[in-house]
Amino acid sequence: MTTILLGPQRFTTTVAPTLRSLGTEGPVAIVNAGWEEREADDAELLAAVDGRGVNLRLYQRAVELLSRDRDLRGAVLDHRSRHDELRAFYGIRLQSAWDAVFAVRRRTSRHGIGEGAERSALQALRDVDDWYAWEVARLVERTAATEAVTRSEALADHRAEVAQTLAASAALVIAGGHVGILMETLRLLAVSVPPELPVIAWSAGAMAVCDPVVLFHDFAPQGVTAPEVHDRGLGRVRGVVPLPHARRRLALDDRERMAVFAARFPAHRLVPLDAGSVVRFGPGSATADGRAVVPAGARVLSTEGTLVTVGAS
Amino acid sequence: MTTTPVSRLAINRLRERLPLDGPTIDRFVARYGSPLIEGERATFLYRGAVDEVWVRHRVVGLPDPLPLKRIGDSDLWSVTTVLPEGSRVEYQVEIRKGEQYERFNDPLNPRLAHSPMGSSSVCAAIGYRAPDWVAFDPEAREGTLVEEHVRSRALRRDQPVQIYLPARFNHAQRYPLLIVHDGTDYLEFAAMKTVLDNLIHRLDVDPLVAVFVPPRDRLKEYPNHAPHARFIARELVPLLTERLPLADTPEARCLMGSSFGGIAALSTAVRYPGLFGSLMLQSASLVFTDIGFDHGGGPAFDPVVKFVNRFREKPRAVVDRIYMTCGVYEPLITPNRSMVPVFRHTGMKVRYTESRDGHNWENWRDRLGDGLSWLFPGPQKFVYE
Repeated sequence: MTTILLGPQRFTTTVAPTLRSLGTEGPVAIVNAGWEEREADDAELLAAVDGRGVNLRLYQRAVELLSRDRDLRGAVLDHRSRHDELRAFYGIRLQSAWDAVFAVRRRTSRHGIGEGAERSALQALRDVDDWYAWEVARLVERTAATEAVTRSEALADHRAEVAQTLAASAALVIAGGHVGILMETLRLLAVSVPPELPVIAWSAGAMAVCDPVVLFHDFAPQGVTAPEVHDRGLGRVRGVVPLPHARRRLALDDRERMAVFAARFPAHRLVPLDAGSVVRFGPGSATADGRAVVPAGARVLSTEGTLVTVGAS
Repeated sequence: MTTTPVSRLAINRLRERLPLDGPTIDRFVARYGSPLIEGERATFLYRGAVDEVWVRHRVVGLPDPLPLKRIGDSDLWSVTTVLPEGSRVEYQVEIRKGEQYERFNDPLNPRLAHSPMGSSSVCAAIGYRAPDWVAFDPEAREGTLVEEHVRSRALRRDQPVQIYLPARFNHAQRYPLLIVHDGTDYLEFAAMKTVLDNLIHRLDVDPLVAVFVPPRDRLKEYPNHAPHARFIARELVPLLTERLPLADTPEARCLMGSSFGGIAALSTAVRYPGLFGSLMLQSASLVFTDIGFDHGGGPAFDPVVKFVNRFREKPRAVVDRIYMTCGVYEPLITPNRSMVPVFRHTGMKVRYTESRDGHNWENWRDRLGDGLSWLFPGPQKFVYE
């Protein structure tokens, strides 16, 4: 199983040499549903994969399905509405738990209470994430089991077409964009990536192939400021949280904030993906419990709140 | 209008060259215009054969009228006043020739602001810059404005409204609803369609549906008027919810307004608690009295003061969140500041910002970015290109 995570491709394009490095021949399946209504503007993307690209058109398929199948549209709208409500509650709980960690860390402790208080506050933060992830999983299962989904012939046809195209492809390329829309279309079209199919993904695409999908933006003008778990990813690369545009989106100078971010996900490596980044997960590069091993030379966010290079002494 | 570093004021350097001849004044006026901004000083100029000249403004803390003095025996008049960094002031010039008084925009200043009352000259201090999202951005996808008439039993008339649908409006999405009092003025004088297009395009604000509602008899309908509140809550909201893909929850409904429109927003929320999740109050006319009823605002403010006094007697949470703004140069600054703790005490979350500006549409326009992105945070966290 080969998965390669790249940095953003807008100014530093590395997808073409990366694809060539795989040594594969044949069609390359493309997912750029995160571009939403610009999905069809894929000329540059097709050129970047040496003209071998076959766009799976997941966004367009979703739009067609939802406009034609009233029951399916109802199920999807209901899912979105429930997910939005869940996110709203999660946001309230998360921000409080996140703020509490910093409040505890900054409080003077004269009798050694502080360390335990911080551990407990961090655990409370993880508990909020776990609760949310559990509820999301429940919601996904619930929607998937609705008759609107299971009995939609049009949906079944589209899913079969996508699976067929994937099966005939030599590689899969997943571009960035709106990660929420990307995940929604991947799930609606039941995209399942065969283990032997090499995958190249960047930005939102990189987030989608890992698990969980964690949203972050330290400089967004408003809203929940803490990084948020949004969804389960495809789980192709387990134990890794990609951080696209880390330099632009993360307050990397704020070591305390970065340290708490890293400590919040102790079973994961937080991997910044800036322009030019190439992080390759090859066959067999996983631990016994299935977690991907971040290759030497890649950078990760340490629990000290700094970026460190894996394998550097 | 010119910005120069602070040293000796240009007008004082000119005074040292008395007596002034016409060409010298011509060159000075052509070079600097009016007002001259030098550090935190603003010098207003007027040129003409008049008996008296004043700057007329509504800046609390500065004398109004602000008299200009003739420079020597020339026809050039000036006055210098303090103007802190980031300030923005609207003003006019008043002159007297014998028994004739006349008031107009500053002929030496091309910069104007517009409002339903007409136009005014604008003096922007050092450090003031209009936000870049107030100007048309050709890259921003445009939403659409749909004009409609809503038959209102509460108001006993057909009420015109303009409905803003965001770019890429899609019935498979659910949108929050923003109801804007003085809607036509917000569109015309605060560029609100352009602002919404830009803020949504930049992912600062969630795509939303806005309905712009103009009043017919503003002074009657806006200060706590039951038929107006009934129209908004019982007629407009249900109609829009039925026809448009709106997120049908209080959290996704916001009322906004400025000045008396702020009172209309607040009083509607008070009459229908729990129906709306948030308010955006800009320089709301929150005038009250602590003893007696001598509020000094004239008869138009009587129902406002009654309403605000009653609310202060028994404050209660009627929405979850309030975004409040007020200019520090307007008379309403003290009532607005005073109401912040009253609102907060009820448990409502209040974000309050002040600006060095007055009671005008450009002030309210400039605050829209902060307010709307707080009330409707955009999807920036979702997009990783």
